Amino acid sequence: MRKNWLRDYIIKRLFYVVIIAFGVLLVTFTLVRIGPSIGATHPADKYLASMAAQGQDVSQAIAAIEARYGLDKPLYEQFINYAGNLARGDWGWSLSTSMPVIELIKTHWIYSAQLIILSSIFAAGAGILIGILSAVRQYSKTDYIATFFSFVGISIPNFWLGVMLILLFSVQLGVFRTYYDTGIPVFSLANLRQLILPVITLGTGMTAGYTRYTRSAMLDNLRKDFVRTARAKGLPERTVIGKHVFRNAVLPLVTIIMFDLGAIVFGGAYLTEIIFGIPGLGQISFNAIFADDYAVVVTVVLISAFLVLLINLVTDVTYTYLDPRIKYD
Amino acid sequence: MTERHNGSSLARYYWERARKNRLAVAGLVFIIFLILMGLIGPFFTANPTAVNFEEKNRPPVGFAIEESVYDFETQQLVTKTIIGTAKHPLGTDNKGRDLLAMIVSGTRVSLMVGLFATGIAVALGTLIGVTSAYFGGLVDHVVMRFTDIMMTFPFFLIFVLIIFIFGPSLLIIVVVIGLTGWTGTARLIRSETLSLRTREFIMAAKALGASDKRIILTHLVPNVVSLIIVIATLSIPGVILAEAALSFIGLGDPLVTSWGMVLRAGQQNLGTAWWVAIAPGIMLFFTVLAFNFMGDGLRDAFDPRSAV
Repeated sequence: MRKNWLRDYIIKRLFYVVIIAFGVLLVTFTLVRIGPSIGATHPADKYLASMAAQGQDVSQAIAAIEARYGLDKPLYEQFINYAGNLARGDWGWSLSTSMPVIELIKTHWIYSAQLIILSSIFAAGAGILIGILSAVRQYSKTDYIATFFSFVGISIPNFWLGVMLILLFSVQLGVFRTYYDTGIPVFSLANLRQLILPVITLGTGMTAGYTRYTRSAMLDNLRKDFVRTARAKGLPERTVIGKHVFRNAVLPLVTIIMFDLGAIVFGGAYLTEIIFGIPGLGQISFNAIFADDYAVVVTVVLISAFLVLLINLVTDVTYTYLDPRIKYD
Repeated sequence: MTERHNGSSLARYYWERARKNRLAVAGLVFIIFLILMGLIGPFFTANPTAVNFEEKNRPPVGFAIEESVYDFETQQLVTKTIIGTAKHPLGTDNKGRDLLAMIVSGTRVSLMVGLFATGIAVALGTLIGVTSAYFGGLVDHVVMRFTDIMMTFPFFLIFVLIIFIFGPSLLIIVVVIGLTGWTGTARLIRSETLSLRTREFIMAAKALGASDKRIILTHLVPNVVSLIIVIATLSIPGVILAEAALSFIGLGDPLVTSWGMVLRAGQQNLGTAWWVAIAPGIMLFFTVLAFNFMGDGLRDAFDPRSAV
């Protein structure tokens, strides 16, 4: 009975994913079509424009280019071609770096991934730990300090925090370099060291959120009857907190963390990469914007959108496994 | 609820409740200060875009920096101490622009973006939420699934893409943030309306033959006004931060001086003029905090169950 239900649920979710993916494709396709796709940015077009300015007839040349890019075909056919190319891994040509977009993505995705994963681990670890301490010692000095810092952490704009960290630790104290060094191998201690400031920048807001969530969830559960029962039957406080309260409190946090993972792929990581010069997907799409390199920008939007869809799907499905009481209608 | 409010209006009653929350009042005071600064500040400060390289990198009042200058008499580089003067209370940036003037101009930009974008988002969200809940059934299902889809959409990158295509202007930023930010409002308003929908006064209105439009606009919407106010107050910080982030990465309107833009200038000159990066961030931080505190306070004040 339950198995069938879960299967139906996953099928339903996959159906939504397909619809959303279609929507994302449609949006980016529209943006590509109304944007300067092969408009003013392509060298050939600039040449044609200058020829036209000299009074020459360039309509044949334009028709040839449009045919080459399939722009003479009806819109729906163009859309099918566009989706087909994406599916085959033909993501276009990056003009500013002179390589296929997919090659560019292949060399740079790891820089984004390391930042996002490390920040999430840091935020989840610190947030849960501080949240538990705060709840177990409610209204103590620890609790007040933790509450204060979580308020500050939530309200502080993370891009400003990043700039301030650079100002303090790199410019004034000289502890860290101002810029990320790509010469250092990704899997090394030196790389971990240079990621400290970016991880704090990206992780502080999340840490604060998780602290507040963990605290209130722990406090909610501490008041429950099963806790009184557990204490009454003489269980040590450690077991009561660690096993009974924590397990119940932390479960919904899994969803929040996973959803955040989706959210920070865009906002936070994007800005953090730019501030610290980390050459991840955010940074390359950012550079591409100023270089009028359209294909790269659109591809990064697409990848991010699909990644979030996937993460959200996995989150919901995992959650139904973790908590059998949950039913999505 | 033992307190009496003889003859005073409902607004006054809520104000009495909100006033007891000190943080909310502090938030309100700061917001009023910001509004005044945005409204009348520009008349008292210098032109925020006036470049003056003679007075570049001046520190704020009370601070001094060492600077190497070329001395024409001795033909040597000498270290000179530059002290902040009252002419530029917050100092100047690397182009000699007055930081105070830039901050004041940024206040105006941030508040305008915050108000208008939130206005669009909340109006849209309210209409969608109320309509969806009122009609229920298939309409509700379709609208809510659409809202779910919108919620998972990567908007920051879409903003970047749209601004990239249409060019950076304040109007486009406001419209784009407004048109994409209604999802949270729609959800909250919907669930509130769902409980209102079955109340007697709605049934009475229906029995009297009121049209759907009339029920929605004169019976349902006025009953969620307090919720709308709370949502709007709590939405403003996110909108202000989004605009600041966009200007910070260089996609803001180049014609107006915003906090994000000042922060960007500051980040590029951290080594020579640290104060330029600090000032706009502090403003952003306290603005976000103020709106959050006020929103929380209003929520408690409007909630009859909470003891203030």
